[in-house]
Amino acid sequence: MSNPQTELTSPPSDAISSIQFAPASLRLLVASWDKSVYLYDTTEAGGRLLRTYEHRAPVLDVCFGEGDEEAFTGGLDWAVRRLDLDSGAQTTLSVHEKGVKCVVYSSAHKLLVSASWDSTLHIHHPQSPSQTPATVTLPSKPFSLSLTATKLVVAMASRALHIYDLAQLASDSAARAQIASSGEYPVLSVEPWQRRESSLKFMTRAVACMPNDAGYASGSIEGRVSVEWFDPSDTSQARKYAFKCHRQPSPEGVDVVYPVNALAFHPVHGTFASGGGDGFVALWDGVAKRRIRQYQKYAASVAALSFSGDGKYLAVAISPGFEDGKEGETEGAVSVFVRELGANEAKGKGLK
Amino acid sequence: MGKPKRKHPDLEEILARPWCYYCERDFDDLKILINHQKAKHFKCERCGRRLNTAGGLSVHMTQVHKESLASIENALPNRAGLDVEIFGMEGIPEDIVTAHQQRVIGQFAQAEAERRAATGNAGPGASGAGAVKKPKFESPSDLKKRLAEHKAKKAAEQAAGISSGDATPIGAGYGGQSPGQGQNSNVFNQGSPGYQQGQMQYGPPPNTATYPSFQQPYGQQPGSFQQQPPNFTQQQQPGSFSQAPPGFGSPGMPPQFPNSQQYGPPHQFNQQGPGFSPPFQNGPPRPFNSASPPPFQQNQFQPPRTHTPPQNGIPSRPTNLPPAPGLPQRPSVSAPPVNAFQMQQLHQGQILASSNPSDAQIVAQDLTEQPAQPTASSADASAIDDLISGVTNNVNNVEAAPADRKEEKKAAKKDKDKSTKLIYSDNDISPEEKMAQLPRYAYVPSAN
Repeated sequence: MSNPQTELTSPPSDAISSIQFAPASLRLLVASWDKSVYLYDTTEAGGRLLRTYEHRAPVLDVCFGEGDEEAFTGGLDWAVRRLDLDSGAQTTLSVHEKGVKCVVYSSAHKLLVSASWDSTLHIHHPQSPSQTPATVTLPSKPFSLSLTATKLVVAMASRALHIYDLAQLASDSAARAQIASSGEYPVLSVEPWQRRESSLKFMTRAVACMPNDAGYASGSIEGRVSVEWFDPSDTSQARKYAFKCHRQPSPEGVDVVYPVNALAFHPVHGTFASGGGDGFVALWDGVAKRRIRQYQKYAASVAALSFSGDGKYLAVAISPGFEDGKEGETEGAVSVFVRELGANEAKGKGLK
Repeated sequence: MGKPKRKHPDLEEILARPWCYYCERDFDDLKILINHQKAKHFKCERCGRRLNTAGGLSVHMTQVHKESLASIENALPNRAGLDVEIFGMEGIPEDIVTAHQQRVIGQFAQAEAERRAATGNAGPGASGAGAVKKPKFESPSDLKKRLAEHKAKKAAEQAAGISSGDATPIGAGYGGQSPGQGQNSNVFNQGSPGYQQGQMQYGPPPNTATYPSFQQPYGQQPGSFQQQPPNFTQQQQPGSFSQAPPGFGSPGMPPQFPNSQQYGPPHQFNQQGPGFSPPFQNGPPRPFNSASPPPFQQNQFQPPRTHTPPQNGIPSRPTNLPPAPGLPQRPSVSAPPVNAFQMQQLHQGQILASSNPSDAQIVAQDLTEQPAQPTASSADASAIDDLISGVTNNVNNVEAAPADRKEEKKAAKKDKDKSTKLIYSDNDISPEEKMAQLPRYAYVPSAN
């Protein structure tokens, strides 16, 4: 491969909301505002579109479930669905009262968590479909979810951020589901393991957890990323920091600040990538506090990022940015790039 | 606190600094510049290899990665081209060099002007010391007035001198402590005019020895003190030591010092250990042990060695002297060459215990008066104190409030960034929510 980056040949027809690599293969799911979810096989250059899954409304998030054959989606039709990628069968797992912004699946706890703008989380147990999902009420609209093996991080409006203990969520929701079997979703009163205020002063766009379960990074609309640690001890909290990124000086000397739309941690090296409204993707070493590299500017705003399960590929989805004054515009490149990473391309250089 | 602030460089220095063609940054020397270029401009983004020149990088990219290099990374917009071969300062086109110099000169002139405006001084390296210094001039009447005041003060001191020795800061104070002090104090004053200064300075230097972390601040102080310290320790040891050590000697002490004026004592302790011990062992200690009168003589002798003799510590000891036999141990005890304050505390305890109540009272008075003196009399000392407190404050800050600092920094940065423009500025509604409101994405649940 002379060029490390290939563009998928048949991208979605409208803006991309989410992309995700399968945990164990190079299959790539792409959710789009064109009301479809696309499944690609990216083992060959240019990718091969395996299948599309029509939805009733724009799809805002997609994630793989247990194995490469199962996926979950959430979208503007308020529903959380299970997709059988082989048969294409769709099952509605629960219905929120507003659009579903995020879905994440914890393979460690066999738990599916969906977050909706109705300020609730639904906790599903996809393994036992008869169980009614439990509802967790949030103080604000959730904007982004991310989880590790043990923690769930929910970034919300008003700079609120909750960290839940997944094991507790799993056991509590299972217990509740057995008690209440009516059509209503049982409300789960779970105390977050930690409540935090975002260390960023503006709306959180994205959160991503470190693969080593130590902490998370969050990005805001104001071109800034913070890196924080779960450990509540003072020494760990003293390590948190934030830095500016995805800003471009304009000719008038004004810094144009782009939102940080996407964050993704490298599953092996623990470094992370950020994608901004400026069309740049940068790799960062969160421990050494260094930028490892920044890739050539993409033609449009970076909408989503995903590392493959083995960390050898990085998928970058670009879509026209939804910016001030350009709300109606959708012209612009919608595309997905898959970049092959060199052996040490995403590896931190270590502290000097 | 480390180094003194660098002076503003003059124009030649600035012009002579190597600078980077690609980003116009300047550097301390050529090596650093070349390293900068290798790291910032000639580094392969694919494999991280650092090349020496743009050409080298270009060849590397084509040969190793089969990619062509379009522009130099991190370069100013109009300097990103590959057409110029740059290595360090080599290869920069003449016109750009001239432009750079012009710019530097302009900046320098501006900075200098600002500095002048801010400080009222002529900039260094500027057109010489253009501004004439104001001659310090006192009118004859002022001078006379001052002289009169001075004389009055002296007279007052003499009057009060024997008993309290206000004028003679440390020496007097100490003298009061010991029974025979009256005499002592006089002797001291006469014998060692420079004393007070010496003492003041003293305090700090000792500290350096004892506390590694603080050493720098103290170390700056005059070296002469070191000689003096020995004497102090000796004197003090006999009498006051036993009491003093507990407080000062304890391990926890170091932190406390920074805050209080008491530094002096702690320092002394330290001193005693390492360099001072020898002096003690020799002459001074013994004399003390004997009668008080001998101590004076010794002190006088000592002047040559150190100013310390004046310290009253000696006089006080005499009372304690009987116990003096313990002297040999002093080194370990580390007698605090205590500041006035500490001295007071220490001595008071002792004095009270001593047989002469009247003496004790005198001492107490002296001491109380003295405390203020150290700071007033020696600018050096106060400067040192500042240094110390500065250092300790820094340490505290670092330990206690890193977060606060960060916040402050952030705030400062924010302020700087006022000229930013958010591409997406709605802090309450996410872009997705807005998009969802567009008619074409509208979804009506009832429609199902």
